[in-house]
Amino acid sequence: MKHLPKHLQPRWRYLAVEFETWPDADFDRGDFQRQCWFAAQNLLGDVGSADLDLSVFRFDHDDGWGQSVIRVRRGETDRARAVLACIDEVNGDEIGLRVQGVSGTVRACEEKYIRRRPIASDQRNVVFENAERSGVVYDRGASDAPRGGRRVDVRCDDAFAGTTELDLE
Amino acid sequence: MYDAVHARPDGDSTVARLAVTAAEYGFDGIVVRNHGDALPDYDPERISDASGVDVVDGVEVRASDPTRAAGFVGNHRDRATIVAVHGGDVATNRFAVEQAAVDVLAHPMAGDGDFNHVMAKAAAENGVRVEFSLRAVLRSEGGRRVRALGDLRKLRELVTEYDVPYVVSADATSHHHLRAPRELRALGEVIGFSAEQITAGLQEWGRLAERNRDLQSDEFVEPGVWRGSRREE
Repeated sequence: MKHLPKHLQPRWRYLAVEFETWPDADFDRGDFQRQCWFAAQNLLGDVGSADLDLSVFRFDHDDGWGQSVIRVRRGETDRARAVLACIDEVNGDEIGLRVQGVSGTVRACEEKYIRRRPIASDQRNVVFENAERSGVVYDRGASDAPRGGRRVDVRCDDAFAGTTELDLE
Repeated sequence: MYDAVHARPDGDSTVARLAVTAAEYGFDGIVVRNHGDALPDYDPERISDASGVDVVDGVEVRASDPTRAAGFVGNHRDRATIVAVHGGDVATNRFAVEQAAVDVLAHPMAGDGDFNHVMAKAAAENGVRVEFSLRAVLRSEGGRRVRALGDLRKLRELVTEYDVPYVVSADATSHHHLRAPRELRALGEVIGFSAEQITAGLQEWGRLAERNRDLQSDEFVEPGVWRGSRREE
């Protein structure tokens, strides 16, 4: 079909989203996209969901950390933020996410916010709550290493505990 | 802006991890409000130095009946900076709003909880902050969420009508549950709050902490009387 004249084409905004999960979380782009639609429909209904027209453009998730670029119609970025805030799990895996910023093009969004996996994760044995356990240590490099020490997800029985190096002494 | 959180053993994450995440999300501080029977072992100053956000020691008193709750409030009042009461049934809500020693009535509408104009007036009179907990909006769905939204609306109408002081929180029990202030504002606008209300509710935790620290400091003698050279206000 012939594409629309330029002034009638929809205008978009691109949200850069960064998220954290437990290290064993396993979901892909499709799952995340579905969750975005569900969240939009649950919060705003069919009408609002159609207005936002959320679509996941870039997606990278591995070892408890991920980033994504999500497209939304211009003028709806606030409602999109609200929808994304309500995503608390994907495929049964708990997720904590935050919108890093908004750009007018995918390219600007990637250049400004998307980093090449700034995180290295490393599995090792740690002592937490007086017991030796296995933990995943995240190293965010010197540039934005939180001053609170590196983050560590410790496996406790059948669940994980979110800790930092301060808790492991 | 501050958010109030439940750390291990109430939740899944330690105070340090919550603080690091809160710092990344742009909060100025967190209020650790574990239930009185599940208090965490931590050093607020050390974590505060390391993460760059203020860590306020609080407690959420949970008791089966008001008489016991009154005892717990008395026990914790001298030690904790912020004392909240775990709301959620009418008797406890009623007790909390009538006690000036209580700082915050947490999630009054949870469970069988309800709130009315009498409690609203009492809360305003005693300066007890009523909490808008966004927990169910952020982390539940279906009928439960619909009921929670209805409850929030009722509470909001009463709070606005009687000018009751209030706080807002995402009620996180894990660092994954925290949401940045901007996201909470956007969500608030969708569910009927104004962005200013959400901001004010998040800031109120910080104001409350500052006030209580002043009251608990050694220079405080009684209202209006300070020992030594105190700043002019």
